[in-house]
Amino acid sequence: MQVALKIWRFDAVAGERKLVDYEIDAPEWVTLLDVLDLIKDQVDGTLAYRKSCRMMICGSCGMRMDGAAVLACKIRMYDIAQSGHIPVISAMGNMPIVKDLVTDMQPFWGKIRAMSPWLQPGYQDPGEKEFVVSEEQMDTIHKESLCIMCGCCVSECNSMESDPEFLGPAALAKGMRFVGDVRDHATVERLQEYSGQHGIWDCTRCYFCQERCPKGVDPRDAIAKLGAEAMKEGIDSDMGAKHAKWFVTSSKTTGWLRETELVPKTQGVARSLKEVKFAMGLLKHGKVPPPIPPHVAKDVDEARALFDLVSQQGRGGAAGIVQGEHALERLEFEQGGNPDRDPFGEGSFPEPFLPGQGEGEEEAES
Amino acid sequence: MDPTHDVVVIGAGCAGMRAAIEASDSGADVAMVSKIHPVRSHSGAAEGGINAALGNASEDDPVKHAYDTVKGSDYLGDQDAIEILCNEAPGDVYELEHWGAVFSRTPDGRIAQRPFGAAGEPRTAYAADITGHVLIHVLYEQVMKRDILTYEEYFAWKLVIEDGRCQGVIAWDLLNGGLKSIGAKTVILATGGAGRLYTGTTNAYACTGDGMALALRVGVPLKDMEMMQFHPTTLSPTGVLITEGCRGEGAYLLNKDGERFLVRYAPNAMELASRDVISRAEQTEIDEGRGLDGNVLLDLRHLGAERILERLHGTRELSMTFAGVDPIYEPIPVRPGAHYHMGGVDTDVWGQTGLEGLYAAGEVACVSVHGANRLGGNALMETITYGKRAGRHAAEWALANTTIDVPASVEADAERELKVLLDRSDGERPWRIRDELARTMHENFGVFRREDQMLEQGDVVRGLRERYERVVVEDKGDVFNTDLTQALELGFLLELAECMVVCGLARKESRGAHARPYDYPERDDESFLRHTLVSWEDGAPTLDWRPVTMTKWQPEERKY
Repeated sequence: MQVALKIWRFDAVAGERKLVDYEIDAPEWVTLLDVLDLIKDQVDGTLAYRKSCRMMICGSCGMRMDGAAVLACKIRMYDIAQSGHIPVISAMGNMPIVKDLVTDMQPFWGKIRAMSPWLQPGYQDPGEKEFVVSEEQMDTIHKESLCIMCGCCVSECNSMESDPEFLGPAALAKGMRFVGDVRDHATVERLQEYSGQHGIWDCTRCYFCQERCPKGVDPRDAIAKLGAEAMKEGIDSDMGAKHAKWFVTSSKTTGWLRETELVPKTQGVARSLKEVKFAMGLLKHGKVPPPIPPHVAKDVDEARALFDLVSQQGRGGAAGIVQGEHALERLEFEQGGNPDRDPFGEGSFPEPFLPGQGEGEEEAES
Repeated sequence: MDPTHDVVVIGAGCAGMRAAIEASDSGADVAMVSKIHPVRSHSGAAEGGINAALGNASEDDPVKHAYDTVKGSDYLGDQDAIEILCNEAPGDVYELEHWGAVFSRTPDGRIAQRPFGAAGEPRTAYAADITGHVLIHVLYEQVMKRDILTYEEYFAWKLVIEDGRCQGVIAWDLLNGGLKSIGAKTVILATGGAGRLYTGTTNAYACTGDGMALALRVGVPLKDMEMMQFHPTTLSPTGVLITEGCRGEGAYLLNKDGERFLVRYAPNAMELASRDVISRAEQTEIDEGRGLDGNVLLDLRHLGAERILERLHGTRELSMTFAGVDPIYEPIPVRPGAHYHMGGVDTDVWGQTGLEGLYAAGEVACVSVHGANRLGGNALMETITYGKRAGRHAAEWALANTTIDVPASVEADAERELKVLLDRSDGERPWRIRDELARTMHENFGVFRREDQMLEQGDVVRGLRERYERVVVEDKGDVFNTDLTQALELGFLLELAECMVVCGLARKESRGAHARPYDYPERDDESFLRHTLVSWEDGAPTLDWRPVTMTKWQPEERKY
């Protein structure tokens, strides 16, 4: 089949950027990475991109297709080529470009390093045996440990776009990998460290990282877990933490969010005085209800019952984080897709048999 | 002034990082040189697990592990090296766990272990089906903890030999361009395998046998190079690895009729026979017309969705992405593909080569633990145990010796050689040669080997080497010039291919991965219970032999 691409080429020496059209004949099973290989071989040997395993585990080939980060080896081209769409391929975002589709990953790794990303078991000594860790405990960090450090999440991170110092989804997910590990005994220090400026609370919850992660790490959920763990440990001095806490308090007491009190609760009374003029404006336009008397939701007891349930179940901290919608959708898909489909039903591949057994049965049936 | 270090490790996969960690902990100043970032290394693609007699799933001990490995190697493995591996394995796995490796667990909280091919006990410790990924990340965490310097995206091109010992490496800086000399008292090769010699391979694009060729070019012999393992379950059409863990969990191999054909080849072990046995069985089924489009089928359906999702999640992701097959409902089309080089740089049990100051560990090396056929789960274990041992010995040697000498002339010679290649502008680009090499190796030096095909392959490779002398690198730039490094990699592969053919022709028997059913169908211990050793002299390979080291086990008939 014919496959067409447009690639944003970048020449670092000349500082020139240009969009170049390519078209090539390729087998039907090719991935985006295979197409780049064919172009590099047969059309232009100067095309630069990273690659290695071509099986979604090494994390080399992160790049953008039509403006969204992908792993090139994971994108099958057949449907795209058949549809007639010509995708635009470019380097990942939020990182300096070295050449063509190759980005400078040093800032990325610098942030990973900033997490003290190694196990700190403290003074535990398991001796000549492994640490005893239950299946459930190990499972707590299953998703975070799937991360291949490809950078797709960082490429799409909106917070990092406005604050390049923001630790970002990959590094924070790595942080959760240790905070959630029962063998690690530096949880409090980590949470304090990660809660600082450019940390946990600077995430805007846009969920782009979650959407673009090719491995199902769900970095935004990891950040939410870090936040919940931090509050559980009483590490809540950051404005972001106070903000989140007020959501809880407010909905627990009156069943809905009391926005008028949100600013003083988050920023403190002194700082919120600066916002008085803004608040008055909002009030004038009917954007905030008057704080007094407090408006209590009719079914506030239900909200309270929810909180009681969570605390009864011991789902404080990370355990209380419900996965995002995207993850739920994927979970459904992963739980086997269609429960009505029979793997051995009509039209399926025949049941396995051993010579002399299965054959005989088949004959008997027919 | 060029940088110098006590120990320089070339390659940063599991073996390289484990060596660097050990050298660092031994007090040496150590640096790694790698053409890709450490976590991109192909160790990360290992899926099924790592073998150690932990005894968490059954009564097990290192002696049983050693016996299985010796038998699996078709008696070509050196038994002293195998005993060291099996004895040190449990401690080395516990250490990985103490560093934070996210192993799957038993209900009582121990490291879970699953059955694997040709293993008498469930001995393969695992992290779902991403064990290599988990290990490479835990090792990189430890590298970061120790702040070990890595020359990232530096392509190692030549070893520096001065005063009869290895004193460093000359590498091409991919990000900025230019050659850089890095001096070292000891150099450890840990560059992995050479699966890219074949069209159908599980190996990454990076697996181009760099370290084997580097050693060969400075006069260090390679051992057992004819022994290339074909993995029985590589995904059609791309060759991506489908883990042996599937069969460990109970998956069946079927021919087009749905028959579990292994009953005719390995009636006792069935799907858990050794890899060489199963690959030959599959190839026979396919050759005799009982395959399906050149494949056989790996059937997981009866395991049920829950078990597949929990333990073989990555496998499902791979087969859905690359073959459009959901293993919950359909069997996966698989076939044998080049997977692992049992052969490699000849070393002793401390990773030392015959050249002072040069070490090798992991797939690049041939200690020899795997002999003529490696058991699944033993490769990751070897990277850790022998990476550690090479790192320790290299560090001790470096700390006891002081001088490093990298003469300016060595770098000048390399510059000149590179300039000749880059200045050439008229001729063939390397990719056709690369594709022809991989295609013909698959046809003529694959699962089954015939004398005439091997002879033909020798001619093919020599012809390709002549064409290679005149290849053109199209990219003349300094920044991220993979056109150049891919051309240099092809030069490595061509020499290794020629070595393999020479060894294959000389081994006139069938042993492990080297199967000659047409002329020498039997194992011949009388003549060939010995290693091939190939060296490079005057532009061509020369062959020698070395006896196998035996401690406890005499060769027996090998049946599964």
